[in-house]
Amino acid sequence: MNVRRFVISVLLLIATELMAIAEVNADETLTLGVFAYRPDHVLQERYQPLADYLSRETGIRIRLEVLNQENMSRAIAANRLDLFLTNPSHFLLIRSERSLTGVLATLVRRSRESSTASLGGVIFTRAGRNDIEHLADLRDKTIASPGVHFLGGYQTQVLELLDAGIDIRRVNLIRFLGTHDRVVRSVLSGDADVGFIRTSILEQLAQTDPDLFTRVKVLNRQRLAGFPYVVSTRLYPEWPLVALPHVNERSVRKIASALFAIEPEDDVALAIGIAGFSPPADYQSVEYLARTLRVPPYDQVPQLTWVDALHQYRLWVFTILVLVMLLVASSLWLGRSKRQLASEQRRLRQLIRSWPQAALLIQGGVFSDTNRASVDLLRYSSSESLIGKDLAVFSPEYQPDGEISRQKLASMLARVSEGQVEQCEWVLNRSDGTEVWVELTMAPVHTEDEPEALILCSLYDITRRKRAEQRQRLAASVFEYAREAIFITDNHGIVIDANDAYLAITGRPRNRAIGRLPPLPVDEGTGIFASARAQGFWSGEFASRRNDGEPIALAVTLSSVRGDHGEVSHFVGIFSDISRLKEQERKLRIMAHYDALTGMPNRVLFADRLQQAMALTRRQSGKLAVVYIDLDEFKPVNDAFGHEAGDQLLVEIATRMRAELREEDTLARLGGDEFAAIVMNVQDDASLESLLVRLLARVAEPAWVADHSVEVSASIGYTLFPQTGDLDGDQLLRQADQAMYQAKHRGRNRYVRFVEPSA
Amino acid sequence: MQRREFLGFSIAAGLSAAGLPGCSSSGPLRFGIHPWIGYEPLYLADDFNWLPETVALRPGTSTTDSMEGLLAGALDGAALTLDETIRVWSRGLELVVVAVADVSAGADVLMVKPAIDELAALRGQRIAVELNGVSGIMLLKILEVAGLGPNDVTKVDLPVSQHADAWSRGEVDASVCYEPTASMIESLGGVRLFDSSDIPETIFDVLVVTRETAKKNSSSVRDLVRAHFAGLQHLVRNMHDSVYRVADRQGIAPDEVRSALATVMLPDLAANQRYLRAAGPIETMAGSLSRLMLAEGMIDRNPSIQRLSDPLFLPARVP
Repeated sequence: MNVRRFVISVLLLIATELMAIAEVNADETLTLGVFAYRPDHVLQERYQPLADYLSRETGIRIRLEVLNQENMSRAIAANRLDLFLTNPSHFLLIRSERSLTGVLATLVRRSRESSTASLGGVIFTRAGRNDIEHLADLRDKTIASPGVHFLGGYQTQVLELLDAGIDIRRVNLIRFLGTHDRVVRSVLSGDADVGFIRTSILEQLAQTDPDLFTRVKVLNRQRLAGFPYVVSTRLYPEWPLVALPHVNERSVRKIASALFAIEPEDDVALAIGIAGFSPPADYQSVEYLARTLRVPPYDQVPQLTWVDALHQYRLWVFTILVLVMLLVASSLWLGRSKRQLASEQRRLRQLIRSWPQAALLIQGGVFSDTNRASVDLLRYSSSESLIGKDLAVFSPEYQPDGEISRQKLASMLARVSEGQVEQCEWVLNRSDGTEVWVELTMAPVHTEDEPEALILCSLYDITRRKRAEQRQRLAASVFEYAREAIFITDNHGIVIDANDAYLAITGRPRNRAIGRLPPLPVDEGTGIFASARAQGFWSGEFASRRNDGEPIALAVTLSSVRGDHGEVSHFVGIFSDISRLKEQERKLRIMAHYDALTGMPNRVLFADRLQQAMALTRRQSGKLAVVYIDLDEFKPVNDAFGHEAGDQLLVEIATRMRAELREEDTLARLGGDEFAAIVMNVQDDASLESLLVRLLARVAEPAWVADHSVEVSASIGYTLFPQTGDLDGDQLLRQADQAMYQAKHRGRNRYVRFVEPSA
Repeated sequence: MQRREFLGFSIAAGLSAAGLPGCSSSGPLRFGIHPWIGYEPLYLADDFNWLPETVALRPGTSTTDSMEGLLAGALDGAALTLDETIRVWSRGLELVVVAVADVSAGADVLMVKPAIDELAALRGQRIAVELNGVSGIMLLKILEVAGLGPNDVTKVDLPVSQHADAWSRGEVDASVCYEPTASMIESLGGVRLFDSSDIPETIFDVLVVTRETAKKNSSSVRDLVRAHFAGLQHLVRNMHDSVYRVADRQGIAPDEVRSALATVMLPDLAANQRYLRAAGPIETMAGSLSRLMLAEGMIDRNPSIQRLSDPLFLPARVP
């Protein structure tokens, strides 16, 4: 605040107060300020009667002072006025500056017979301005107005136009001319297009200028029955007459009663052109107007504090606060979920990336993402080699099941896209050309609202398993198709599995084979399991019987199978039917030792038997004789009757000779028509010679061959054992042979004993 | 003849000539209104363009227009007295009172010959009354207060506008009427024995809408009620302006408007909340009125009103 002004104000105030005190009950003077809304002299002339009337009625000298708004405000600030009469807007301004209490009375204006305590605004233009008919035409027009603080000369019009959608304060050029009279002149002279004046001005001017209404045109004219003036706006209460607070109460009462005492017919009323004063009106509507237009004293937007705003908009603030809190909370929650989602995604990606099993993402039929394991599986160096390609690229043309890889893949992808999970075995080609068997699993990982199918494809390398399976299949087929019987027993020897060959050889049906002991050798029995357990295997041949009782010979190999801890868990046995082999062996043996024609031992067996007989004789200190027999005249028979007849004869004679010998003696055919015999336990020469005689006789008997009776004889040489020298079998037989030749020489059909030739 | 028509006579002719606006099947809420001091706020709102496009006033000359418009489905709502609301309801159209425009506090009067100095003295007298209007209700209430039965007086059923003539011809000893008939009879030597200020909160002028409109077009109903209160605010706060506007519309002097305003109470928002609440004054009065009207044969059947008023359409505050 200006210090000087403040000091002056205080001094003035003190001075006035002193004067007031001094003049109590003395010749008191009060100053009545009247707002010069029209030229000063007009008002001075008009309101002087009021001052005189009040002076007369109250005994207080009332001095009239006509002031414009600024001067009045200044005079009031300086306390130079005691009473004032001004328009409601100006009153509001002063009231807000001085914090005045109230209004003494409201002016009631008169117009001929009628009166009114209301005022309004007039919007007018020159008659003949055909371009201005409605409020809307005021746009861009020049406007003349007495001043912004004029209620009827400015503010009412502004509000009316604002309601009509025109804010003239923004769009129009407005000239403020100070008084209403100047406005009227300005419009009439054409300086301004439109004029704003308060009600009653035109009517007052028309008293001196009767044809005024023919020269002006009032816009937006309101039809208000009983209102005495032309008006363009809504109405507000008339001017207030206000006493300043420093005027003593007694004076105020006197003045008020004098004011209310004025009757319309009184001279003073007629002189001023009013109907009197009414009790104070409600100036709320003017206040509302000033607030709406933001004109002084409401031109400043009050500094709203937070507390004010909070009080005013408690519900809104609370609601917004709650909403903001909800927003923040939901943002936080969203952020957290987003982070969680991101970390989950990372974890998932990491999981797939680092998962030791090959995993690939298929989007649109081609790989969109791969992990390390899948790159390694296919033996590529980086995932770029895989991305953008489909699985068929890495597959051979045909899959092992015979389907074309690309077709099979396409149908699988179609099914997976529909939500199924597909699993199959698949063969892939590695970058180095090798094959790899994989177990292929494809599962959809897209949600239904995602337009493009996203498929997770995992590959599990089953090459090793596949190979093991192949080996196993091979082993199984060996087991199944082997000619040898194969059986597996538990560690007690009970058969738990056996192949078809086992059943075929043993002749047992499967139910009688499983759960029982396998064929075992009679002598060792289950002992062979103990042997196999101890030595790891047992093998041998033995005779057994088929289920139907037929004998069979078996060659068995039994192996122990050890478990993880070295203990014998199973036995595996393999055997074959060697019955036929044994038979052949027997036949061969017979063929080697016996003469095929006569069934007698041949030279080999004879030699063997001779060895045994010699050993036995030596041990028993007995004697044996070796006899060599050769048929005489046999060849002619052969020639005459054929070989068959010869053979028949040989068989016949052999049989006869055999019949003459004892059981322990041996007769052998050495070849052709030569026979040899070993005679055991020769007691003496006589008995031997009698035997030899019988032999000769039997040979000599006629035989019936080829429908002929044939007679042959034999030449026999013999020798005895032991002799003085140590002899072997061959030597003995040679001795007998030599003796036989002697017999041939001596004329056949006789026997001759070997005699050591004399040296 | 209906009550509240005297003020509207001057403009009735003009409106009749123009014809009532056509009734559109959809669109804005069609609200029937006729001149009465209590309904002035809506007219003011219309003047100042405070009625949004969702509401269309359908000015008529009297409540007859409004009642028939409602029953014919040409109107979605109307300004009626409470007894007229009950009459419409009893004819099968459910209505909801969404605002109380005014409460008669002296507007309805009983004019009597000076010899009659108390209500009990009415026994055996000839009373001019318009049975089929609010005047009839007023008489019922008067008899109730006087402790007289319906047959204790001689009812002369006449439109209120003809009461003054009947009085001057000496055909009646009393008249249940309202302004300006009351003033005319007063000038003919009648005295005011009783008026509606003696039976407070009995004669209501209300804004009603059909139940269907309240349900289906609640936002328009809110617009209507908000406009009423905006107009009311102007009427009260800018009395200096509004008296002239009302006077102009009703074709009377501003001073007459002031005296007319003195005979009605214009309840503000808070008072409306009180009036319209469930089982509040409106519903209580509607209940007692419908019993009375049924007993007097003014309506054929008990409308058995369950829920008549609804404060939900009142705005939170006046702008």
